[in-house]
Amino acid sequence: MTRQPTIFTSISRLLVSLLFLAVATSAAQAQSFWKFQSDSIPFFRGFAVSADLVGLAQMQLSDYGQYEAALRLNLHDQYFPIVEVGIGRANHQKDEVTGISYKTSAPYFRVGVDVNIMKNKHAPNRIFAGLRYGYTSYKVDVDREPFPDPTWQWDVFYGVKDEPCSQQWAEILFGIDAKIMGPLHLGWSARYRNRLSHKDGRMEKTWYVPGYGIQDTSSLGVTFNVIIDI
Amino acid sequence: MRRLLLSLSITSCLAACSSIDCPVQNKVSVNYSVCQYDNGKEVADTLTDTLYIWTRRKDGTDTLLLNRGVNTRSFTLPVSYSHPEDVLIFATTNTNNDMTLDTVWINKEDIPHFESVDCGARYFHNLTAVRSTHSAIDTIIINNPSVTYDETADHLHIHFKTSR
Repeated sequence: MTRQPTIFTSISRLLVSLLFLAVATSAAQAQSFWKFQSDSIPFFRGFAVSADLVGLAQMQLSDYGQYEAALRLNLHDQYFPIVEVGIGRANHQKDEVTGISYKTSAPYFRVGVDVNIMKNKHAPNRIFAGLRYGYTSYKVDVDREPFPDPTWQWDVFYGVKDEPCSQQWAEILFGIDAKIMGPLHLGWSARYRNRLSHKDGRMEKTWYVPGYGIQDTSSLGVTFNVIIDI
Repeated sequence: MRRLLLSLSITSCLAACSSIDCPVQNKVSVNYSVCQYDNGKEVADTLTDTLYIWTRRKDGTDTLLLNRGVNTRSFTLPVSYSHPEDVLIFATTNTNNDMTLDTVWINKEDIPHFESVDCGARYFHNLTAVRSTHSAIDTIIINNPSVTYDETADHLHIHFKTSR
C-alpha cells in the first residue's frame, strides 16, 4: 500500500525548504554567529516566562489542543535555552462520519535552545532560529458504538481503553520576538516537526499526540506566545 | 520585519489546513490460492470444477461469498471483524453436476486497527489455525497469517483432490 503525497505534504516540504533557506541566509549574514559578542553587557540577562495562545485557541475552538507554558533563560541576548511544558488534550466524540470517539490527556515537554540571529543582539526585537526535542507518554481511548459485521451481522465492539503510547520528536523553528512595553513581549514561531520514534499501541496508530498535534498532518505548526521578562 | 510577519501569517494559514488521509486500499480480506504438489514442491493449480462458497449469518440465513467460480486459480473472501472463528462452506460441482461439500474453519486473532477518527473502523487479523473436511479439499494451509490492507498477500493455499 503506497500513499500518494498530499498537497499539504508538498506545501510542507516547500515551506520547510524556505525555512532552512531563511535561517541559512540570516546565519550567513550574521557576524560571529556562534560566538558571544564581546561587550559590556553581562552574560546572564535573566529569565522569561511565556504562554502559547495558539494551543489555547485550538482547545477552545476545536476538540483538541494544549495548554503550554515555557521558561527561557537569556544568555547575553544571544542564546536562549528553553523548557516548554504543557498538557495536551483531545476529546473527539462520535465523529459524524465514522462514529469513532478519541480521547487522550497527557503532559508533554520540549527542551531546546533559540539563537538570536539578529546582527545587533541587544536590540529590543529579536529573530530566532531554534531546535527542540519533545517527548510525551500518553494513553488513548478509542471506541465506537457496536455495529454489525457487514457479512456475518454479529455485533462488533471496536476500540481500546487506556492504551499506552509514547512519542519523541524534534522541531526546527524560526521565530520573532517583539518588545511591546516594559517586560512584555509577543513572539511568533513557525515550526517543522519530525517524529523520531513512536509507540502507538495495539491499534498501530494514534490521532492527536499531546504537544505534537495530529500525527499525519502536524509536520508544520505555529505558536504565538505572550512573554514576560523576569 | 513586515516580510517576516507576512511569511509567518501565510505559514499559519497553511498550518491550519486539514486533510483527510485515509488509505485508498482499505479492504481487509483473505486471499486464497489454489495449489498442488509437484514432486513435493507447491505449485499453482487451476480448479476445473465450479466453486461456490457461502457462510451462515447471525440470524441463521446463508450468504453467498463466491458464486460460480470457474477455472479458479485464486479468490478473495471476507473475514469477520471480531469473531474468533469463521466457518465457510465450500461446494464444488463437476461437469456431471455432482456437488461435493466441505466445511472450512478459520481461527484468528482480531486486532482493531485505527488510522484516524476520519477513517472507518477496521480490524486486522492474525490467522492462527485452519482446518477442513476432506471431501473435495485435500489440504488447506496458512502461507501468510497477517491479514491487513495488503491486497497482494497470499494468505491461504488450498489443495483440492485431483480425482473427484
